[in-house]
Formats: sequence, C-alpha cells, structure tokens
Amino acid sequence: MEQKFFLLRSFLDKLYLYAVYIAAFALLMILLIIVYNMVARWTGNTAVGATAYAGYAMATSAFFAMAYTLNQDGHIRVKMLLSKLGKYRKWGERWCYGMGSLISIYYFYYAARGAHFSYILNDISQQDDAWPMWIPQMAMVIGTLILAIAFVDRLYQVIFFDYDELEKKWEVKDEKAIEDITSSTESHKERMEN
Amino acid sequence: MEHLYLTVIFLFTLFFLLGSGLWIGLALIGVAYVGIEIFTARPAGDAMITTIWTTSSSWSLTALPLFIWMGEILYRTKLSEDLFKGLSPWMNNLPGRLLHTNIVGCTFFAAVSGSSAATLTTVGKMSIPELRKRGYPENMTIGTLAGSATLGLMIPPSLTLIVYGVTINESIVQLFMAGIFPGIVLAFLFMGYVGIWATFNKDKMPPKDPQINLIDKIKSSRFLIPIFSLIIFVIGSMYMGWTTPTEAASFGVIGGLVLAALQGSLTMKTFLASLMGATKTSCMIAFILAGGAFLTMSMGFTGLPRSIAEWIASIGLSNLQLLLCLMIFYIVLGCFLDGISSIVLTMAVVEPMIRDAGINVIWFGIYLTVLVEMAQITPPVGFNLFVLQGMTKHEMYFLAKSALPMFLVMVVMIFIMIAFPELATYLPSTVRSAGAG
Repeated sequence: MEQKFFLLRSFLDKLYLYAVYIAAFALLMILLIIVYNMVARWTGNTAVGATAYAGYAMATSAFFAMAYTLNQDGHIRVKMLLSKLGKYRKWGERWCYGMGSLISIYYFYYAARGAHFSYILNDISQQDDAWPMWIPQMAMVIGTLILAIAFVDRLYQVIFFDYDELEKKWEVKDEKAIEDITSSTESHKERMEN
Repeated sequence: MEHLYLTVIFLFTLFFLLGSGLWIGLALIGVAYVGIEIFTARPAGDAMITTIWTTSSSWSLTALPLFIWMGEILYRTKLSEDLFKGLSPWMNNLPGRLLHTNIVGCTFFAAVSGSSAATLTTVGKMSIPELRKRGYPENMTIGTLAGSATLGLMIPPSLTLIVYGVTINESIVQLFMAGIFPGIVLAFLFMGYVGIWATFNKDKMPPKDPQINLIDKIKSSRFLIPIFSLIIFVIGSMYMGWTTPTEAASFGVIGGLVLAALQGSLTMKTFLASLMGATKTSCMIAFILAGGAFLTMSMGFTGLPRSIAEWIASIGLSNLQLLLCLMIFYIVLGCFLDGISSIVLTMAVVEPMIRDAGINVIWFGIYLTVLVEMAQITPPVGFNLFVLQGMTKHEMYFLAKSALPMFLVMVVMIFIMIAFPELATYLPSTVRSAGAG
C-alpha cells in the first residue's frame, strides 16, 4: 500500500512537472512563430496562419502551466483572512481547495464538452490557418484536467495529513524547477546505472 | 436598480470567494457562474468556455509572455550592477545624491520590464547593500525604491497596460506610448521629493562619494549603452509602426539573450530559469484574464454595468467627481487586491461608465495605472512591500511608513494627470498607425 502511494505521488509530481515543460516549450514556440512571421514578411512571403498559431501556443502555455503554478503558489489569492485564522487555517485551506476542486472540475468538464462539440460540428478556425478547432482546444482540455487533478490532490492532502507539515512541504523555493530538472536527470541516471 | 436583492447576493458571493482566499482566476469564474445562474436562464458553462478560449488564444495576448520573459532574462544578467555603477557618478552631485540611483535605475529598468516586482528586485539587489554601506538613511532607501519600482507598471512595456488593453479591446501601442511622459514626470516628481527632503535633512545625509572627472564618468556608463539601445529599439519600433507589440517583445527577448550572452551570464541554467519564470508568471496572468473574460460576459448578461452606468449618469456627477470617486474606490480596492486583478475585476462595470462620460479610455488607462501603482505600496496587501519584506526583513509597518511619502507624490501625480491630460494623450496621437493593434 505504501509503495502504491509512493508511486502515485511521484507520478503526480512528474505529471505537473512535465506539463510545465510543455508549457515552457510552447512559450518558446510563440517566440519562434513570431520571428518566423517577421522573416517571412521581410522576404516578401506570408506565413499563413502565424498569428493563429501564436495564439494556440499562448493558450497551450497558459493551460499546461496551471497545475504547476498552483503548486508553486504562483496564482494570486487574497491570503489576508486565511493567515489570521491561526489554528483554524487548515479549515480555511480545506474550503479553498474544496471550492478549487469543484470549480476546476466544472472548468474541465465544459472545456471537454466544448472541444467535443467543435469536433462533432466540424468547427473550423475563422483565421487563415483553417485548423479544426478541436485540435488546439485539446490544450485547454488537458490543461484543465491536470489542474483539476492538482486541486483534488491538494484537497486530499489537506484533509488527511497534518497541515503544519504540509505547509513546510509546500513552501516554495526559488528556481525550484531548475533543481527539479537537474535532480530528476540525476536520479534518472542513477536508476539507469543500477 | 430593480434587481437589488440579486445584486446583493452577487456582490456577497464576490467578496466571500475573493476574501476567503480562493485563487482569483477561480473566484472570478465562480462569481460569474453565480451571476449567470441567478440573473438569466442561459446555460453558463458553454458560453464560459467559448469566451475563455477566445481570450486565452488571442493574438494580442502573446505580447504578454514575451515581455515577461525579456524582463526575466535581463533580471538574470549583470544589469543591476551596471545600472548602479553607471548611474551613481552622475547622481553624486544632486541633492539626495545616490538615493537618485534608485529612482533613475528603476525608470530605466521599467523600460525593459513590465512588472513592478521585477524592477524592484533587479534595482534593489544592488542598490540596497551599496546605499547601506555608505550610510544612507534606511527609510529613504526603502521608500524611494518601493515607490519608483512601481514605474515598471507605467513605462512601456507594461503588463498592467497589456492587461488593460486586452480587457477593453484597445490598442496596446497607444497605451504604451501614453505611459511614457507620465512615467517620466512621475520619476521627476520622486526625484524632486528626494531633493527637497535632502536639502532639509542635511544632517542625515552621508558624505559624498569621491569625485571623479567627466571622462571616468562616461567610462563608467559605457555598460549602459547596450541596454539603452535595446530600450530605444523596442519602444521606437512600436512607435514608428514597424512592429506590433508582440514583435517588439520578441526583439526584446532576442536582444536580452544577446546582451546576456555578451556579458557571459547566459548559461543553460539561467536560460531555463528565465523561461520557467516567464511561463509561471504569464500563466498566472492568463488565468486571471480567463476568469475576468467570463465575468465580463456574465455581467453583460445581468445588465448590471448598464444600470450602474445609468445610475451614475442620473446623479449627474461631473467627470472630475467621477474620477475622484473612482480614485478612492481603487485606492481602497488596492489595499486588498493586486493591480491586475483589480483592473480585470472592475473593468466590466467601469468601462461603460468611462465611455458614457466621454473620458478618453487611453488616458484613463494611465490614470488607472497610477492608482494601481499606489496599490503596490499600500498595506496590508501591497506587493512591493511584500517583496521588500523578503529582501530586507524589515517590519511591514516600517516599510509602509517609508513608502508613504511616495504614495503622496503619486496622489499629486493623479491631479497633474487630471490637470494636464495631454501628458498621456499627446504621444499616442502621433504614433504611425501601421503597427497599431
């Protein structure tokens, strides 16, 4: 049982981390698409649909990073009252993560429904890329799904674990992602060697 | 207002969700959902997802992550060191001496960064230790830094103005250009305050740094040339209509990378760290914008903004009175919310009000930015104060007290903006139109 929990934990953490790597890659893609668009314009060509693709990359970047940003305490919230709750803080956090889970599941449900309708109605982009809309919308579907998972994950933890310990565990260290990259490659190497 | 009862429920939900600590993007979605459910018979979810998708995948939004990334790259270079070294010889003879490096340094960094916190940390990580070493009064060091770092929100590129422009569908280039003169005027006001303070408090000021001659002054400033070129190129290319904001931002990113590489501070680690930081920050803002777009749509269904605008019109406030009421409203709101959230939250209601009153929306964007800047340094929730608390470990009370004079300077700025609206409206009217959008 312990073993299974551990596996699930490391699976979830990897899920959030790999999702944010995709998000970072999408941000890089925005830059490349825009540079490509400019180069095309200077050389007298047109990069068809470039603005639409940059928009899709923007959405991909935003949605895939949501869960990780949540875990990094990157999403803004008003903590003033929460921090005044003292020992009842955990109830405040339970409420927040509970509502968060509810709204993010709702968000995911309608994102999936929206993409599904785009698919069955054969909705085509109005811009000159003329892509079927469900393809870029999948970024929103997957991103909100991961966000919902992250919320439920945290809700479970604030209910079943000691809040003070969680607070320490969740404290954000600067440039954590980079450490995660290096440490994950190191542990990966170790595993390969063993 | 015929729906008074429902309106009260709606507002209660809003305050309750935001106040109880829910993430702002989610709280906005929650409120918007409640709004649609109680005021209309429409299905909320499907409309929500269409709006959110349109907002999050919009072309004008792509400038946002790139400008954030540019700031993140430059934050990780030796720029803060160069700014201090390059500027301090020039400030040495002004009354207030090196305190001015905070203000001028922030003004320059604001021109490559769109955020107040980034400006604060970049300038502060060099100037706080240097000024302490020389014995400058701590409250002045902290105060000038907290105040002038907010210029990051006004001087282009500015994340606040991008968010404002995307929210009300106005040209980001116009907004950027409108921010330049008011930003410079505000910087001069800060400097004026420091000068006056230093003249009356000579006993508190430490001795001058050793004098150096003009040649050495120029030599020590040569490191600033690349950053100047970058600023002029990025802002100039938008002004001349050569590039859209997004394209200018991509030049900024590439320029920043080249600069970092020339200094030898570009490694794989800093590159990834800057990219990751930018991803996180832009995700945070996109999340709020998505919730805000849904809220705006929901408010449109409820008819609330219309009836509030009509109500305001019926009491017959003059424009000046309206602006002063909004000023007080935003200052109070700013005590609890950060600038971007309060803009996104209120625009659905405030935009029709402003347009009905015939106030120039570009000008209003800058006016709003000054108010949002004030919010950055007002307790209990002032982001610059939080950042400074992390950097200096001072009490919140001390930080807020040090920043108070800067807050008052900004109040003066508000009235200057009202008295001389041309400050904000002149430059946008001269922009070449090709790249606007």
